[in-house]
Amino acid sequence: MSRAAAPQNPEPDGPRPVSKFEFNLLRILRFVFGQLPADQGLQLVRAGIARPACLSKAAVELVQDTLAKGCILTLVREGGWRNDPFLRQNAPARGRIWQRIPLDERVLEFSSHLMEFLLWVTAEKVNDTKQVWNPPINELTPADEYFLWRFFDACRMDPEIVTALRNVDAFRQNPFCWLASPGEIVANEEFTVPDFQPLLSGLRVAMLECLQPHLASRWLRSERTKGQIGDWKRMRLQGRAEFTMLQSFLAVVEKANRTDLARFILKTNAAILNAEQTPEFWTGGLQGSGPPRLADRLDTQRAALAIPRQMVVLERWQERAQYVSFFDDDYPASQLWKQEWEEAGGDRVAARARQVVEMLEPLRTPPGSGATATAEGHPADEVRM
Amino acid sequence: MSRAYRITVKESESRHLKAGDEICTQLEILEILPPEDMAALLREELKKRGFEEQDDGTLIRQDGDLTVRVDPCSGEVSVKAETAETVNQEARRDATGFNDVGPNENTLRDRVKEQLKQDLDKKFDQEQSRLQNKATEELEKKLTELQPEVSQIVNQVTREALKQKAQQMGTVKEVSEDAETGSLTIKLEV
Repeated sequence: MSRAAAPQNPEPDGPRPVSKFEFNLLRILRFVFGQLPADQGLQLVRAGIARPACLSKAAVELVQDTLAKGCILTLVREGGWRNDPFLRQNAPARGRIWQRIPLDERVLEFSSHLMEFLLWVTAEKVNDTKQVWNPPINELTPADEYFLWRFFDACRMDPEIVTALRNVDAFRQNPFCWLASPGEIVANEEFTVPDFQPLLSGLRVAMLECLQPHLASRWLRSERTKGQIGDWKRMRLQGRAEFTMLQSFLAVVEKANRTDLARFILKTNAAILNAEQTPEFWTGGLQGSGPPRLADRLDTQRAALAIPRQMVVLERWQERAQYVSFFDDDYPASQLWKQEWEEAGGDRVAARARQVVEMLEPLRTPPGSGATATAEGHPADEVRM
Repeated sequence: MSRAYRITVKESESRHLKAGDEICTQLEILEILPPEDMAALLREELKKRGFEEQDDGTLIRQDGDLTVRVDPCSGEVSVKAETAETVNQEARRDATGFNDVGPNENTLRDRVKEQLKQDLDKKFDQEQSRLQNKATEELEKKLTELQPEVSQIVNQVTREALKQKAQQMGTVKEVSEDAETGSLTIKLEV
């Protein structure tokens, strides 16, 4: 029996020594990945500390290690581990993320801007600083965007920090922030939805595939808590942001024929509309009589139903998928969509979504007064209304 | 010796105030016939009910301060309530000054005028709010009245469309309608 050779880079006996600043920076990193209680993490983000000229080698290595492990761990936990089918070259591919996508297509690369961001967050009181970190957003890598979204998400319990982050383009134009929490990323009615096209290629699409279950549960939670919103203005702003974002995202996804990436929207609708709902599910918490104009009240109520209103688009996809023939290029993709639609009970969900949306319409025809036609008998056919 | 004096300033203003409210919604027209045929049927039905066709193809009916506009091609309905009033408002304020201390008469008068302007603005805001409520209440009332009529229009268009569809499918043998239940039975030979 031979003895195993000693490892070339043995692990140090104890924790590696770092300065107070570096210690805080590493704790903020751990907070982003859920390894530090939120109250402690937020306290560090709100606190400032004198910034050193540079970081020690040990700290830089620890940051690299935490970023690499933390991002991978969260992506895998959020859905990368699942054996769900996704489209690759217009055909469904099954397997976990590391089985579906080759390694060179899922390498996380962080830019120097992210390191600068971590130094800024540690040194400044983010909620109250004049030194704003504002890098050119076209220089951020997909991994940077993912991390920044995780940071925004970790801080969203603190309204002051969220307000400060909203003013930074790297957050305001971050597609992941928009997909997960559009209502929180907008500050007022003057908002611009980012271009979702880059999300459908390279590393970002791999991340988006991983995030599908996470996004579905996030949206479901958000929809369930909407009924507790009492402020009409807030509801209108959130609903408008959600509706605009979803429409823009679905248009991009449809154009690229990646309907599988809208799975979270279908699943959210299926979970909410597993029973018949009334608009009160979304608007029941609104306090008082609302804005004086009926038009504004109706607009707010319609905005609140941003998610069920997307079923019109998904239903149209389903209709189109039914007409795709075996010899068409889109056949495998349309089969996958039909399968997902069937699993979610799409027809029933779409009917319920239509019903709940129509309940808000002021001139809607009472249920049961619509036309139904039946044909029976021979030789004379009978059509009844 | 200090002598007190009192200034009374009175201002009145007349403003033309406007308020409006509007809702837009979609008619539930079934696609029994091609869209252009359904639009033609809807157009005919609306004309029978007093709607007038405009140059842009929409049909409008004016009911007092309310305008109902229907686009037969898209099925979009908009109901708009508008109200306008010329409102006169008056405000008056008194101020006391002293000839030896405090602001002089002109300054005091300017200050009171400024306060009066704010008083008038507040009164006009209240009037604007009252007019807005009036417009919204009228719109809500109209919507309640309009709802059954819209249902009748949709049903009538659907009936006509079904009859035409039946004629296209074969020879219509019998058509019977029950006004009470709203049922329509068409027997046809194909």
